[in-house]
Amino acid sequence: MADLGPSSLSAYLAVASVLFASGVLAAATRRNAIGVLLGLELMLNAAALQFAAYGRFRAAGLDPQGQTAAVFIVVVAAAEAAMALALLFAVYRSSKDIDLEKTRELRS
Amino acid sequence: MIETALFWTCCLTAMAGALGAATVRNLFHAALLLGICLAGVAGLYLFLEASYLACVQVVVYIGGVLILVLFATLFSADIMGAVQRTPIWLRVAGLAGAALAAIVAGRLAQTAIAHAADLQQVRSQPGALPDVIDGGPGSRVIGDLLVGGWLVPFLVAGMLLTATLVGAVCIVRRHRRPPEAQRG
Repeated sequence: MADLGPSSLSAYLAVASVLFASGVLAAATRRNAIGVLLGLELMLNAAALQFAAYGRFRAAGLDPQGQTAAVFIVVVAAAEAAMALALLFAVYRSSKDIDLEKTRELRS
Repeated sequence: MIETALFWTCCLTAMAGALGAATVRNLFHAALLLGICLAGVAGLYLFLEASYLACVQVVVYIGGVLILVLFATLFSADIMGAVQRTPIWLRVAGLAGAALAAIVAGRLAQTAIAHAADLQQVRSQPGALPDVIDGGPGSRVIGDLLVGGWLVPFLVAGMLLTATLVGAVCIVRRHRRPPEAQRG
């Protein structure tokens, strides 16, 4: 078992695991669509953190490709949040509720 | 010593914020806890010598996505945690979700830590991995990569953002009925 600390990969991976599991928990148990969106953001953040951590500890030195991949994850997460919230507004306008148990269709 | 303390503070902040965001009933508080979690991850990026990524995290996530989510929360029906009675089957489903999350966390941590040990073994052998791009941490290296080997993904990301912008505006646009329909 590797030692835990700022200069070990394991600590970052453990934090990312907790973040991802929290995201799965939120996405699986939240009834409100915004709560599900929070879970998705958590999962994407865990993935970006893993990219950055593997890039940092890849070989003898820092590999900036990991950070570049993480930047793309941030871009995708921002686009996903904007699109999901636009859809939520449309659903809310048609059915006045964004409870995922009650909302079954986009058309009103 | 101070560095280690700061590192553990960032780790605990990120993990506590994530767990709180996943479990707190009040959606507004959950979004605020997500912001705390994102700030902790930004601190972890600083420890990973990814200062550019830390800035992006603060500006895009905390400044953009989180504000968007908080704004949308104000439209939600049960914003201040108006607790309705939870049916028993939903509680069972919640427990199943928690068990699923625990299994995912356990498997991820197990695989990740095993992998980390492998990686550190590989690192100890000289020449086991190809040479990395030489360059200090900073946005300049990332910028060179974006217009170098990552050019196509960079352009695709730009197209994705444009399509998202146009699509979001189209979706939330109010559909006005034609004058004939209003008269009739």
